[in-house]
Amino acid sequence: MTATADAPATTSPDATNEPVTNEDDPDGDGDGAATPEGTFYDRFPAEARIVRATFLGAFLAFAIGTTFGIIQTLHRTGIARPFSSVDYYTFLTAHGVFLVLSFTIFFLVGVFTWALVRSLDRPLVNTRFSWAWYGLMAVGMTLTGITILAGFTSAVDLSADVLFTFYAPLQAHPLFYGGLAVFLVGTWLAGLDWWRTYLAWRRENPDERIPLQTFMVLTTTIMWYVATSALAISVLFFLLPWSLGLIETVNPTLTRTLFWFFGHPVVYFWLMPAYLLWYTVLPSIAGGRLFSDPLARVVFVLFLLLSTPVGIHHQYLDPGIAEGFKFVSMTNTMFLLLPSLLTAFTVVASVEYGARVRGGTGLFGWLRTLPWRDPAFTGMMLAGLMFAAGGYSGMVNAGMNINYLIHNTIWVPGHFHLTVGTAVALTFMAATYWLWPQITNKPIYSKQIGLAQVVLWFAGMALMSNAMHAQGLLGAPRRTAEPEYAGFEYGTAFGGFQELNVQIAIGGTILFASAVLFLSNVVLTMGNSRTDGLAETISEPISGPEDAPLVLDNIRLWGGIAVLLVLLAYALPIVAIIQRGGLFGPGGEAFPMVLDALSILVDRAPDAIALLTDRAVDALGGGRLGGWP
Amino acid sequence: MGTTDSEQTAAGLIEDPKSFDPKGTLALILVYFCILVTMWVYIYFVEFLGNDLIVVG
Repeated sequence: MTATADAPATTSPDATNEPVTNEDDPDGDGDGAATPEGTFYDRFPAEARIVRATFLGAFLAFAIGTTFGIIQTLHRTGIARPFSSVDYYTFLTAHGVFLVLSFTIFFLVGVFTWALVRSLDRPLVNTRFSWAWYGLMAVGMTLTGITILAGFTSAVDLSADVLFTFYAPLQAHPLFYGGLAVFLVGTWLAGLDWWRTYLAWRRENPDERIPLQTFMVLTTTIMWYVATSALAISVLFFLLPWSLGLIETVNPTLTRTLFWFFGHPVVYFWLMPAYLLWYTVLPSIAGGRLFSDPLARVVFVLFLLLSTPVGIHHQYLDPGIAEGFKFVSMTNTMFLLLPSLLTAFTVVASVEYGARVRGGTGLFGWLRTLPWRDPAFTGMMLAGLMFAAGGYSGMVNAGMNINYLIHNTIWVPGHFHLTVGTAVALTFMAATYWLWPQITNKPIYSKQIGLAQVVLWFAGMALMSNAMHAQGLLGAPRRTAEPEYAGFEYGTAFGGFQELNVQIAIGGTILFASAVLFLSNVVLTMGNSRTDGLAETISEPISGPEDAPLVLDNIRLWGGIAVLLVLLAYALPIVAIIQRGGLFGPGGEAFPMVLDALSILVDRAPDAIALLTDRAVDALGGGRLGGWP
Repeated sequence: MGTTDSEQTAAGLIEDPKSFDPKGTLALILVYFCILVTMWVYIYFVEFLGNDLIVVG
């Protein structure tokens, strides 16, 4: 797509032939931006290579993660079980870690690097430092990934079938935790890289407002530092020493709580690049302009403040945490709906402006004038629509009483496949169709395939996620290789259990097909030769930063309040958990994931057979089974 | 913002973007709100008619 192909004033039936210009819109196409000077690749080639490398890392993880996804889908639903059910947990761990830690975060660091450099209009301070953090992230994730994948073979004494939450007493090989720690340090250094580039820009531009995209990057980075502090403590002080045998036990409630201290903000960490793209790129693709820069800043400040002190809402069923603390967490969580609803308004209004400029009329008729044939636009809009549905199931998760209804059921994976699995993942794929030409100067191989791909993802997820929610309401558990039980039948609602299984399997297969199309399109695009004329602009907001109160840019203030809120929400629960169970736990053995399930069976089988024989003899001799345990 | 529909033309919006009044957005959000309320009420029935009461505290 060229910069002028979608120029709204020329496509609008209502627009006059005379271009209407004003000082806010130099080329008069309604987007408030001048014709672009070149792509990101033209202007910042060194940074473009870093962004491309992060995207390729993300796509590799996506390829592995989605392959495991289809295997799990067919296994769990009983359609095809070529692998052992014991291996299911290795697949599940790999699916989780590769998709929600590797795919999302590698893509995030790429988007943030692009957005920061683009919006500051200056290069990174030192790209060698950038390659260093990229290298750390890649090495860390490779170590963690290999440890997980080694779980498929008993030839090496390595495995980490602990799922992406790595709850103790499930224990992984030390390399799993070590790799995660290295990956985490890489992300911290990436944040440092963005901050120091910003500070260098600030010295050069002491009186300028922080550009919106940079503001989004900086606030999200602070949120990440706050959130990951708990994960670092959990891994470095408890889980890693424990898996190395330096300490005997850990307090599982404490490490779980520290995980969810990190685990809720991490979902916003995944979402923030999607939000950044919705706020700044999507309106431009629609031919519109961001409705309000100040509102966008308010939303990112609210996420910085509210996304961490809510993690206990993942632990409503944990017995070691008092109900009062859970209630506080629920209240904070409900406040968190505010920035999401503000986003729904701002982003849709920005797109509506584009539609009106294109000549759209009526209460809903304007929707028809939007560029639905553009995969970047359609993908992001469908992702936003799915997020609205995920918002609903999220409200059910967040309510303490109705959470009990669906806790630990497959409803929950149904929910997060709408949020991270679609709102985030589909936005990333859609954005790739727009961003990849900017960072490589190579046009997308096929936008038609791209359009089919994003629609397929939406359709597949609608089918799979809806059926997962429905099975959850029937009580089907999550994280289970074989959710069918002898002597028990699930109730019937929205179709029977098997019918819903078929929906899940078909949905999952469509999703896998969509993933293959996406990856093939990217690979074929990489084979294209570089060309000129691909530059895209990002339009100026209707209400710009000059309308935003200066205090919004005081990131130190918001960071301070965020830390204070976290202390208020977490200090008392953590003290109570430590008082009750001790810093290193009340005792209990690890369930180490480094051992081979088969060897346990072989070790214990003689005892079990002997016991069974004794009981059988007793039963035959005594004529009763009263002694059966 | 006190605009009339006649001002919300493409040319009018390009000339004065701040005259834009996102009525279509309001309509979509109201539709979403109605769906949310309906589903929320529905979940109430799923919980309270399909299962025993859950008492917190």
